[in-house]
Amino acid sequence: MSLEVDVAATFSATGAEPFEIEVSLSVGTGETLVVLGPSGSGKTLLLETVAGYHGHEGVVRADGEDVTDRPPEDRDFGFVFQNYALFPHMTVRENVAFGTRYHPEGRDPEALLSELGITDLAERTPRTLSGGEAQRVALARSLAIRPSTLLLDEPLSALDVPTRETLRTDLAETIADVTALYVTHNRTTALELADRIAVMRDGQVVQTGSPDDVFEHPATPFVAGFTGSNCVPAVEWADAVADGTVAEGERLAIRPEHVVLGESGATATVERATRGDVGHRVRLGREGTAVEAYTTDPPAVGDETTVRFPTDRVTRLQREADRD
Amino acid sequence: MSSVRQGVAIGTAGKASVVLAVVTAQAIAFGACYLAGVPTLYLGVAILTGAFLGWRSDLGWFGLGIAAFGVVLLLALGMPLVLFVLRLEPDLVAEAALSPDVHRMLYLTIYGPLLAALVALLFGVPLAFLLARGFAGQAIVESLVDLPLVVPHSVAGILILFGFGRRGLFPELSILTTTVGLVLALTFVSSPYAVNAAREGFEAIDDRLEYAARSHGASPFESFRRVQVPLAARGILTGGLLAWARSVSEFGAVAVVAYSVRFFYPVAWQESVSQLAPVFIYNTYTSQGLAEAGAVSAILLLLSGAVFLAIRSIAYDDARVGP
Repeated sequence: MSLEVDVAATFSATGAEPFEIEVSLSVGTGETLVVLGPSGSGKTLLLETVAGYHGHEGVVRADGEDVTDRPPEDRDFGFVFQNYALFPHMTVRENVAFGTRYHPEGRDPEALLSELGITDLAERTPRTLSGGEAQRVALARSLAIRPSTLLLDEPLSALDVPTRETLRTDLAETIADVTALYVTHNRTTALELADRIAVMRDGQVVQTGSPDDVFEHPATPFVAGFTGSNCVPAVEWADAVADGTVAEGERLAIRPEHVVLGESGATATVERATRGDVGHRVRLGREGTAVEAYTTDPPAVGDETTVRFPTDRVTRLQREADRD
Repeated sequence: MSSVRQGVAIGTAGKASVVLAVVTAQAIAFGACYLAGVPTLYLGVAILTGAFLGWRSDLGWFGLGIAAFGVVLLLALGMPLVLFVLRLEPDLVAEAALSPDVHRMLYLTIYGPLLAALVALLFGVPLAFLLARGFAGQAIVESLVDLPLVVPHSVAGILILFGFGRRGLFPELSILTTTVGLVLALTFVSSPYAVNAAREGFEAIDDRLEYAARSHGASPFESFRRVQVPLAARGILTGGLLAWARSVSEFGAVAVVAYSVRFFYPVAWQESVSQLAPVFIYNTYTSQGLAEAGAVSAILLLLSGAVFLAIRSIAYDDARVGP
């Protein structure tokens, strides 16, 4: 099943400026498209609009069929919520079986409980579950209706780090063959789960591409910053680029892991060095700007070192490309 | 607010034994004042005790002040009840408890308000659901729902006569002195309680639970039936109890519309005539006197106490389970 979304909607709330989203995207059969964006970028509103909870202009197509005018119950999308949204007055088994009454073609709830390793929770109520357990139940409930597309709204973000990592791995397996639209602000989650990524900002998609495309070749300074790349004014760091030719107003985006230290290039001062999981992360300052880099052999804070941006790793961006 | 503060003050001041000691001391002080024929003296003792406990709390002199003021209201609420119980004449209470007239009145006082509460819920729960979701023009509807709370209840009775009386919406409907009239009057005055409590029940439900129900295939009605109503059940039940309790105590509207009520009395298996408790007690007071009215009141008080405890137990369940 595929999903095509081309929607525009305006949301208003008391005391807040109206918020508009205008998004076009498509998800191929069996593909996981991750919508990556900061809080307030409209990711959840987009997902809820696709699910049919909010009125909108434009069109939503499931497998080529226009479902725009259908209510949520007739769209055949599963929805997994950040806060689980399990029915508190029902047991885990009843939660998982909830939608099968309306979807005779759905999956056997018992088999799903077993598949997700939660059979022993079947008689428990949601209040007694941990976050990780609750999210497995929520996932099972959505998969039980055999949805054409699974919509997932930051399902891992309320979990503690070890639980999140375990569930992320399980989730990757579970939704591998499911058409899924997954929104998150977490780039690790995006990298691990996405077949493709759409970066969203202020209600609009600013870049869509494979995880490599988006992370290695950001289209705007915003995407660069949000995906963890350095993004610095080219004029100040011209010496770090092999040919040294840069244009006025240009910015250079490069991931910290690709920055080369101590060989040649621009001279910078080590401002900070912190130990990470693998090696050290250092901050190198030059003319009031700074880049981050990884190294296994960090120079001392206050020392000078050289910084080089390998040509094939650097993306040249125009400041104007960013709407700010 | 003051009760919360006091709760904090007493909680920090000490343990159950301290509470027991204070209550015992109060009982002894009151007993001594009452037997000495100067119950007024006890008011001073109680206010001083409250002030002392407030002062000893973590609020200091401020605690002394607010506890002293709070105790005055507690006394105004509690002392009439205590003196009422002490001055009851058991013979009269027993006589009232055995009187067929009182039995008929009690039956009507349970049955009429029960019907009113059910009617208020039947039509009030859908309205509460809509109000919880919000809609254009909601403020007008809210004002109408809350109107009975601010209208003097004798006026409510007059409104009902205008609306549903001989030249009203249903000219063939006989409402004066009938069960229908009684239920109409009681529903009019009690429905805001049913609607507002049920509405709070619906408002406490996370929108995403409805989203989840709908996305997994439930129609709006199925979502209402399987998710929203069960989750709002406590609010709906509280609303029903409040509407019932409010109806039991109604006087003004009932006195206008259905002062005496003809109704089918299953114990005698025939039509009978009685009055709702507040009217019945007022009648007893004016025709027989305070002691006789007190005896009937005691029986009604027991009934109201049972309802009060039922409501409190539901409220406590809410607090324990959490949102």
